[in-house]
Amino acid sequence: MPLLTASNLTKRYPSVVALDSLTLEVEPGIIGFVGANGAGKSTFIRVLLGLTPPTSGSASVLGLDVRTERMQVRALIGYLPENDCLPVDVSATDFVTHMGQISGLPHTVARERAAEMLRHVGLHEERYRLMGGYSTGMKQRVKLAQSLVHDPKLLLLDEPTNGLDPEGREEMLGLIERTGREFGIAVLVTSHLLGEIERVCDTLIAIDAGKLHYAGPVAAFTKQTAYLRVELDDDVPAFAQRLQSAGLEVTGSAHELRVALRDDAVYDLVRDTAAELEAPLARMEVLRHRLDELFRAPTGLSNG
Amino acid sequence: MADTRAAGTIYDLGYQRYDGIRFGRGHAVWKLLQYSYRCAFGLGRSPRARLAPVVVCAVAFLPAAGQIAVARLTGRTELINYGMYLQFTAFFVALFSAAQAPEIIVQDRQYGVLSLYLSRPLRGTDYAWAKLGAMVLAMLTITLTPQLMLFIAKVFLAPESPWTAFKAEYGKLLPILGGTLGTSVYMASIGLAISSVSSRRSFAQAGVIAFFLLMPAATTLFHGIATGDAKRYSVLAHPVWLLTGFMNWLFDIEAKRRSVIGRADLAPSAYLWAVLAISAFFVTVLLVRYRRSEP
Repeated sequence: MPLLTASNLTKRYPSVVALDSLTLEVEPGIIGFVGANGAGKSTFIRVLLGLTPPTSGSASVLGLDVRTERMQVRALIGYLPENDCLPVDVSATDFVTHMGQISGLPHTVARERAAEMLRHVGLHEERYRLMGGYSTGMKQRVKLAQSLVHDPKLLLLDEPTNGLDPEGREEMLGLIERTGREFGIAVLVTSHLLGEIERVCDTLIAIDAGKLHYAGPVAAFTKQTAYLRVELDDDVPAFAQRLQSAGLEVTGSAHELRVALRDDAVYDLVRDTAAELEAPLARMEVLRHRLDELFRAPTGLSNG
Repeated sequence: MADTRAAGTIYDLGYQRYDGIRFGRGHAVWKLLQYSYRCAFGLGRSPRARLAPVVVCAVAFLPAAGQIAVARLTGRTELINYGMYLQFTAFFVALFSAAQAPEIIVQDRQYGVLSLYLSRPLRGTDYAWAKLGAMVLAMLTITLTPQLMLFIAKVFLAPESPWTAFKAEYGKLLPILGGTLGTSVYMASIGLAISSVSSRRSFAQAGVIAFFLLMPAATTLFHGIATGDAKRYSVLAHPVWLLTGFMNWLFDIEAKRRSVIGRADLAPSAYLWAVLAISAFFVTVLLVRYRRSEP
């Protein structure tokens, strides 16, 4: 059974079309859901949770219709919202336990699982303190713990790395990867930073202005979007020409070239050409077009 | 993904799947009610959150403790009077509604907790009912308990045997229960409805206090200038007059002829229907507000 399906899913607000006839089918795993800010990622999640009715079309989670079987769908989902969602004057332990009970767990089970999940996300003694004093990183961890406490089949994580410093982002991504791989829970994680989530995902969905841009394995998308940056210490005009005549897409200046990474043979071709021309190869680096470049949507976000 | 978690893999760091019982909406509503009830008294919260409820509780219980002490010292149990009790404490009970209704409902929106509740098997109206139940129970706690204390004191401090005193008094139990329940539902629904349309706790608190201060003022003013039926029925819009009339009906007390209620000369049960109608109106506001937060 597919994890998620959407068929002509459309959500129109008075001033904007948030989702524009989205049709997709995704198998369980870790799914990256990327798009620039305002591309419709959060709307998609809200539709899955039954918090917003679609204007037209349909969607299902594990075979359950998000409109007619809303309560059953919600019982299977753990949700980490993008915005703040934690009360300030309650301790993390009490709050996660409470959320477990609201999801239907008996009291003792909720307590045990709350402790377990808070340990999983790396909160130790702090979990008995009131959450008002928590750092952003700690709050994100509590948000992840509360989404896991009832052992969901699917986690919906809306920009879980938002507001975190680079180290915090790494830790959060590590947690997400562990949760998906070791716990065997399907994860849909949204981000406006492709480079960040692609390495933890198996599947990637990219949307732009509500339209589906790509849905499929990460590797294939990487092929579409990655390029090789080749730095030479000297200008060797013949180098670029030779690569182009070999059928590669080459852009950039004479000593800093961008070569489209069609496949792995590109590396060999660049190396052999450099050797032949005795070009002073300084550096080769795999880089990625920025997400906003891909969508040609000038949002000003940058990521390598 | 399940195949990656074969038994005994070194990755298994103790994550336990949960295959046990999962309760449904009813359980979620009940747990939210319990949690909110505790929250109304600041339990499990910071000491600062306990300040207002502790003060109100003290004030609500003091007259009862005082009456019991006086009755015990003088031996005159007829000094204990339930019918008037709510009128002594009504102001503080209203204050409790103003302070704590926003506490249990506005913060969930202000801090975004509502989005977590609604992502779970809980409808918007379930949420509203749970909060209403919690608030009514909290208000019953501070209105009913002191009066039950009075009842028990009256029975056991009576000069005759407790059994005789109980037989003489038990008829009052129903009016006590009805009076506190009516008052609690009335004040809780007003507090929650006003809170449900405010974005910040302080606005909500100011709104509820304003209601309980402005309604009497406006009604008194209107009552002064109106004539005929408008004057008579305007009595029902005044919270204190309304609750006094309601208590008169419950305890079968005749209003003084020259009092506002006596002169209005409404059917005694009109006060009951007014309490029910006003509560129903505010409960509807609350439910509609939370039905909208979800399709």
